[in-house]
Amino acid sequence: MSETTRLDKMIQLVAEQAIEKSSQVLSKLLKQGAKIELKQVSLMDIALVTEKMNEEDKEVVAAFIGLEGDAPFKFLFSVGMADALQITDLFLGQETGTTIAFDDMTASAVQEVGNILSSAISNVFSQDFQVEMKPTPPEVIQDYLGTLFQQFIMDLAMESDQILIIESKFKIVRSELDCYMYLLPLAGSTEALGMATGMK
Amino acid sequence: MSRKLLLVDDAPIIRLKLKNILQAQNYEVVGEANNGVEAIEKYKELKPDLVTMDIVMPEKDGIEALGDILKIDSNAKVVMVTAIDQRDSLMKAIQLGAVDYIIKPFEDERVIEAINKAAG
Repeated sequence: MSETTRLDKMIQLVAEQAIEKSSQVLSKLLKQGAKIELKQVSLMDIALVTEKMNEEDKEVVAAFIGLEGDAPFKFLFSVGMADALQITDLFLGQETGTTIAFDDMTASAVQEVGNILSSAISNVFSQDFQVEMKPTPPEVIQDYLGTLFQQFIMDLAMESDQILIIESKFKIVRSELDCYMYLLPLAGSTEALGMATGMK
Repeated sequence: MSRKLLLVDDAPIIRLKLKNILQAQNYEVVGEANNGVEAIEKYKELKPDLVTMDIVMPEKDGIEALGDILKIDSNAKVVMVTAIDQRDSLMKAIQLGAVDYIIKPFEDERVIEAINKAAG
């Protein structure tokens, strides 16, 4: 197995553990059974990913968070507009359909879900791999997915023409919510993780 | 007489949840702050009996704000609220003088327990 493949596998392992932890945290937060499924961990061409995101042409609410420390990552939690309203109701323990329009509480619910999920991920890094990470305060943005994604990858696009995407889908009780998490390793993070796990 | 509370968190939805839990326990929420800078201003202005303080916030984080509040009032009772279950941040807050902590996501009972304990 090549070193790159081994590192990708290792990041997949971290992602699986982080997602397992995030599922538990999300279930507790929403007081509902929640399951986050890992859809893919893959190294992709930035231009192709951006093109795909632009094609979706969908309005979303997203929380941008930096994970700063030994192995820096950028974290993006995004949710479709209708599902963001449902998350707000779940968060506040209200009947689904109570929140009918995007407002400060909706933005805040997305902010807080992003904050708690990114913290669960940083805990996996620090507790299981002794890689110290700290999340930055979340920034919530409402825009089209393609526009948000371009902003998300901006720093990385200057360093590389490929990005590692960890994509996941959320299922909450019987609802399948259109929520996604993306973790982008920044310069030096794969090497730091490789050192931490003895793979490099 | 109900105890006066100041809620500090950059997420309004968390302040609303804490407010709903604590008002039902006869606490009076006299103010809310969005970051550490606002927290210090409101602490001076409102002189609350208790403060709930988020850690990760823009402008000034909860650890710095805790330190500044304790410089103003060494008897201030501050309960930290954080999503980061990281011992070093919480240890630092307790060493500085925080009376307790709550990990997000929280159960109502844990919030009530921590605030009642802090209220003495």
